[in-house]
Amino acid sequence: MKTSRSHRSSAASPLEVHLDSWLREFGPRGNEKVEADSVNQLLDVLEERYPRLRFKIRDETGALRRYVRVFVDGEDVSATTGLTTSLSGAQAIDILHSIAGG
Amino acid sequence: MAQNDRLRILIGTRKGTYIVEGDRKRRTWKVGPAAHEGSEVYHVVADPRHPGDVYAAVNNAFWGPQVQRSRNWGKTWQEIATPLTPRRKDRKPLFNDSDPTTPVPRPLNNLWHIEPGLPSEPKTLYLGADPHLLFRTTDMGSSWEPIESINENPSKKDWAPGAGGACLHTILLDARNPQRLYIGLSAVGTFRSEDGGQTWKPTNKGVEAPFLPNKYPETGQCVHDVVGDAADPDTFYRQDHGGMYVSHDRMEKWIRIGKPLGDDFGFSVASPAASPGRAYFVRLDGMARVTGEGHLQVHEWNDKTRKWRKLLSPTAFPGHFGVQREGIATDNLRPAGIYVGTTTGQLFVSPDAGKTWKLVPFQFPGIHSVSIANPTRGGAKR
Repeated sequence: MKTSRSHRSSAASPLEVHLDSWLREFGPRGNEKVEADSVNQLLDVLEERYPRLRFKIRDETGALRRYVRVFVDGEDVSATTGLTTSLSGAQAIDILHSIAGG
Repeated sequence: MAQNDRLRILIGTRKGTYIVEGDRKRRTWKVGPAAHEGSEVYHVVADPRHPGDVYAAVNNAFWGPQVQRSRNWGKTWQEIATPLTPRRKDRKPLFNDSDPTTPVPRPLNNLWHIEPGLPSEPKTLYLGADPHLLFRTTDMGSSWEPIESINENPSKKDWAPGAGGACLHTILLDARNPQRLYIGLSAVGTFRSEDGGQTWKPTNKGVEAPFLPNKYPETGQCVHDVVGDAADPDTFYRQDHGGMYVSHDRMEKWIRIGKPLGDDFGFSVASPAASPGRAYFVRLDGMARVTGEGHLQVHEWNDKTRKWRKLLSPTAFPGHFGVQREGIATDNLRPAGIYVGTTTGQLFVSPDAGKTWKLVPFQFPGIHSVSIANPTRGGAKR
């Protein structure tokens, strides 16, 4: 799969992760610093720190849940490079729920 | 009044869980605050073995399914272990028709039904889920064991979903024999196990599948709901896509009873503990899936006289109401209370076996499920 960014160097500074207010029930209350090379790896780290996040963002097959959106520096990658998106050079990740329902 | 001496109506809705408290006379009702707001709650059930314990099958569109438990009649809730399908690498392949070499990833979808175990097994509960999954816990939900005979059944590739999904929505136990279990799946039918869930026998003989070329197959019926008779554990009442049925022999064969009603379509059935031989069905229009003839209808089946009685006059509650598979419940008081929740959020209550009815003055979100926590004292130790 095509990724929009090259691999993150190990010397890079941690990314800042912003979680949806609903997701904060399961994870960090505030912004979280994480070092990761891809969205998948970032979620692995977050889930290890906050086990209640497991299966909330990705289901047990490892797929991103249907109504979860991931933004890398403001760009929505959910429907493009998705979980394999490289985080090289990225500074901020937003994980939000999409506008859906009724 | 003591906490456990109240009657409670437990309601799962499109937007959360509600618990409605009443007195033994069932005349006044107090609606508690909503829990699990914004989530689809397909089933809420009290554990009669442990008064105060309530379980909810919570399905959140964003964050997925969760089993939630309250230990104080719904004042506070906590997420407990939610069973998972095996991870993809560990899963036996279920084949895709268009590409038989590719395993289909099938994550756990919605949770449908939670069934507390028998009093003799105070830490056991069962959980039915989509896609056609059955789980059991023997530690009150700290962990779940998949019932592989269903979850990895080789014929599963031929099991079709109903409109609500591939749901395992009915789980029934036999108090005389802990090894005997019954399940109902859409659109597969009912099965019985005599060995604690190791093997299963299809039990759909006599049930019509009007939507299939073979009208009486071994499986493939779209069962909507089944309940047992409180006095006769061999007797069951069934609301199927193909009509209303009774079985007197542990589901070995089914007898259609709904034909005198004309259209005997519906989703739900209940049978009260205090009135053995009676079952209550909410009859719906088979095409529109709402109450036909422009008013709410509940029909009582008397299994001794083999006669029907219509409980509501056309002028009582005019309108087209939808009622889903867990949408009707009965209590264990005498005379029996009947409770009907609609997809448009009305809750109808009869405290006297259908003689009089009232609408609880609260507009709920669309109701998926109604169940009753009967007044009780004591309970098993955790």
